Amino acid sequence: MVSKLMHVTPSKCTVCRNCELACAFSHMHGGKPTAARIRAFADDQQREGHHAVVVCMQCEEAGCVKACPAHALWRNPETGAIYHVEARCIRCQSCVAGCPFGNMRWEAAMEFPTKCDLCDGDPVCVKFCPTGALEHR
Amino acid sequence: MSEIILNGRKVKVRKGEFLLAVARREGIEIPTLCQHDAVEPAGACRLCLVEVTRPEWEGWSKLVTSCLFPAEDGLIVSTDSAPVHKTRKGILELLMARSPNAVPVRELARQYGIEQCPYPVQHDGDNCILCDICTRVCQNLVTGAISRIDRGVGKRVATPFAEPSTDCVGCLACAKSCPTAAIPYEDEGLRRTIWGKTFEVASCAGCGAPTVTAEQAAWIEQSKGVSREDQLVCDRCKAQKTAAAYQKLAW
Amino acid sequence: MKLTLANIDGYRQELVTQRKELQSIMVCCGTGCRARNGLGVAEAMGEALEAAGLGDEVKVELTSTGCHGWCEQGPIVTIEPDGVFYTNVKPEHAGEIVAGFQSGHPVQKLLYRDLTTRERKVTYHEVPFYSHQTRWAMRNVGRISPTEIDHYIARDGYKALAKVLAGMSPAEVVDEVAKAGLRGRGGGGFDAGRKWRSAARASGSPKYIICNGDEGDPGAFMDRSIMEADPHGVLEGMIIGAYAIGATQGYIYVRQEYPLAVKHLEQAMADAREMGLLGEQILGSDFSFEIKIARGGGAFVCGESSALMRSIEGKVGEPRAKYVHAADKGLFDRPTVLNNVETFICVPLILDKGAEHFAATGTAGSKGTKAFSVVGKVNCNGLIEVPMGTTLRELIFDVAGGVPKGRTFKAVQTGGPSGGCLPESQLDLAVDFDTLADAGSMMGSGGLIVMDDRNCLVDVARYFVKFLVDESCGKCVPCREGLKQMLAILSRITQGEGRTEDLVAIDKLCDVLKDGSLCALGKSAANPVLSTLKYFRSEYEEHIRDGFCRAGVCGKLCSYHINEKCTGCAVCAKVCPVTCISGEKKELHVIDQGPCIQCGSCFDACRFDAIEIRSAP
Ligand SMILES: Cc1cc2nc3c(=O)[nH]c(=O)nc-3n(C[C@H](O)[C@H](O)[C@H](O)COP(=O)(O)O)c2cc1C
Ligand code: SF4
Ligand code: SF4
Ligand code: FES
Ligand code: FES
Repeated sequence: MVSKLMHVTPSKCTVCRNCELACAFSHMHGGKPTAARIRAFADDQQREGHHAVVVCMQCEEAGCVKACPAHALWRNPETGAIYHVEARCIRCQSCVAGCPFGNMRWEAAMEFPTKCDLCDGDPVCVKFCPTGALEHR
Repeated sequence: MSEIILNGRKVKVRKGEFLLAVARREGIEIPTLCQHDAVEPAGACRLCLVEVTRPEWEGWSKLVTSCLFPAEDGLIVSTDSAPVHKTRKGILELLMARSPNAVPVRELARQYGIEQCPYPVQHDGDNCILCDICTRVCQNLVTGAISRIDRGVGKRVATPFAEPSTDCVGCLACAKSCPTAAIPYEDEGLRRTIWGKTFEVASCAGCGAPTVTAEQAAWIEQSKGVSREDQLVCDRCKAQKTAAAYQKLAW
Repeated sequence: MKLTLANIDGYRQELVTQRKELQSIMVCCGTGCRARNGLGVAEAMGEALEAAGLGDEVKVELTSTGCHGWCEQGPIVTIEPDGVFYTNVKPEHAGEIVAGFQSGHPVQKLLYRDLTTRERKVTYHEVPFYSHQTRWAMRNVGRISPTEIDHYIARDGYKALAKVLAGMSPAEVVDEVAKAGLRGRGGGGFDAGRKWRSAARASGSPKYIICNGDEGDPGAFMDRSIMEADPHGVLEGMIIGAYAIGATQGYIYVRQEYPLAVKHLEQAMADAREMGLLGEQILGSDFSFEIKIARGGGAFVCGESSALMRSIEGKVGEPRAKYVHAADKGLFDRPTVLNNVETFICVPLILDKGAEHFAATGTAGSKGTKAFSVVGKVNCNGLIEVPMGTTLRELIFDVAGGVPKGRTFKAVQTGGPSGGCLPESQLDLAVDFDTLADAGSMMGSGGLIVMDDRNCLVDVARYFVKFLVDESCGKCVPCREGLKQMLAILSRITQGEGRTEDLVAIDKLCDVLKDGSLCALGKSAANPVLSTLKYFRSEYEEHIRDGFCRAGVCGKLCSYHINEKCTGCAVCAKVCPVTCISGEKKELHVIDQGPCIQCGSCFDACRFDAIEIRSAP
């Protein structure tokens, strides 16, 4: 079964940051947008249609999974999402180093990594994206 | 599929699965201090004891550590019977004498109604309860820089000869997986010190933020095949680069 | 020469015929006798024989044996086949011994003198220490040279192996061992046949067989004696075991302190290999098996089965919690049988003579014989092998000669450091695995420490707990922390600072140890305390309540005084290490309490019962 993937259309992103907020709230990081697992980047020249949003692509050959010595990153076969299993995590930060795209984040306050888990198959960010820059299909 | 009776309830189990995992799935709490999902169970703290019996044992029962005991069809398990409670309490009293400042020990002691420890308490006692999580983590998952040395009451966790270890890569996994925060370390800016060894944390090529130590990056590259360049950039700068790539794609 | 199933019997027959006319002068060169210049005796004997120039008509061979198990009488020299038995031999006696040998008049002064009749005994057959024994596991101990494979073969060695390979299936071998009712001699008394059967049935390969020669119990040395004196017996037992369970590789785990055992085992392995008894295609059959020696990790706990296996694997020798048996997943996670030295050496006997023969001796639940290492306050310290079911009284008084110096028996500690202490009232206990456990002690590996009224049972409990504190691996909380607290309490009591609540705390600690510990060390560590509390509770109470140690051991709880029975012989004054005893010759002596260190030397030296132990001033 081919799972649904996140699709980003940068030209549609307005950097409204609704996705970040939605993510931060739904993952209970106190609604701190900087803790969100999805990140919107404004174009440095503020050109419309040049903004971009970056979120984990659940890579088939994922750098985080490869780097993790504790097998704490594990793919849910149903949703295709790579989950971070807190009980297995030894908090070594290797996954953060291992992801080449910057989608594995280190949550310093809690001393463990966070990543997009596709909200168990129904990503909240997608629902809150007003422009359709984010799609899950 | 097999079935066991857990605190009076029939529960389906997978063959060979440990009782602790079954209990947790069923929402039953069992105290543990030496269990960590990333490593094989050790059976060292003995707090996860439960009482097991079988109909054919004719009333005889025994205490086993649930973190290690495989669920077998027909087993009857009580996770908080009187003997279980009594033994756990006895163990906690011993731990209170050794490590009265360790938070999880205090918390469990409170739960088990220990008001006064019957043994002389070592008030400045080491927080280390020798649960063996750090050493199992380091030896089985990282580079094996630390181990338990000496035996008996003198047993402790250390690097070989208590010297700074050449194997330590400064990942802090030991300290951070310690349930009682007993392993001292410093991690300030780009300097990190643990087990007597000071590391320089590589600063992000983009923004200068700390990433991982060069030793850890080298170890990840060598053992996991993840390129070092990618590792020495912080996640935010990496994400920014990704964003830039997207932006390019968009045009 | 390579032996095969076809030629081994003929070869043995030839050896037996050759050796029939031979007289053997055997010098014990075991570890104990070596320490008393046994090697010097052997050398002197060689020179004396040479000098005597015995002609061709007397066929004599000079060899050395392994430990006979009575080292305190060593160096021991025996002359076979008659069994002439010399004790405490020095090199300068060699000439006399050879002369006696030639003339047929044994050297009187070197013969053993009976404890009660004071008569000299010519052969060991007449010495009670030996004549009361039934030496099955030690059948060859002291009777052969451990480094001569022919000696072993001539005494029916490798006969059982040949029988097994010639006509028994592995399952039949297992059945025979099961039928014999052989229980493990290393501690637990686990049914060997059952263990072998599970391993034989287990899937997984290769399979391993391990001989536990770690022998960590203080004072025990039967496994050392057997390995040193009859290494082939151990090998034969292991080879048969390997055949029965389908093992291809064996290990003998030998305690670090036993270099001579290693040397003899290595030589035996080399000789057995050379003769086709070990290695590829044993005795020309299609069964192959190899053995390696692993040196002990140096800790008591390394003798525990799972710790031992970790140690052979090159890991830290710590017990592993196991709810999966070693028979299924042992060494390197492969099916493994681990048995003790004494267990293995019973195997050839069972297969040779038959299970019925073995099972005919012993009790309902424990078959065969058991070797004990008897030490302490007995006249004969040494290795004693008797049928299961022999009473403690027979063992201690008939075989070991009873308590010396006319003192009173007080307790016997059985089962090694985590065994228990049994009082006079339990002396008629027919010793086997189950009776000892029921009495609150255990068989363990067969250590027996005899104590008299000069032993303080609280101090004895403290001593064993101290041993266990030092030897606990420290992995699990109940054992590591519990024993530490137990030792603190017991030390306090022996220091005169005991409190009434201490006995309650001890009970509690015993429960946590028993119910909570990971391995048998911790689980049984309460035994010395529980058994002394059970049988000698009043002594604890006296220590705590009255501040009195009746044995005169706990210095802060006793004082020594001289009463009117004093004859003024002044022996006490001579032995006192701090010279605090004074008095005129033939007059009442006095102990100055100030400098007295309560060592009790005067008490032990006085022949008139004039020294009294009272509570501390
Ligand atoms: C702390 C401890 C130490 C032990 N030491 C020995 C030992 O030195 N020799 C031995 O044969 N068994 C020893 N054992 C028993 C072994 O674990 C094991 O039961 C035995 O070797 C099995 O052999 P058996 O069935 O032939 O007795 C020890 C057990 C414990 C718990
Ligand atoms: S921090 Fe956790 S998830 Fe990340 S690599 Fe280390 S163990 Fe794996
Ligand atoms: S009972 Fe003692 S020796 Fe056995 S595992 Fe626990 S600490 Fe180690
Ligand atoms: S959690 Fe099972 S023994 Fe510690
Ligand atoms: S060494 Fe000679 S009797 Fe023990």
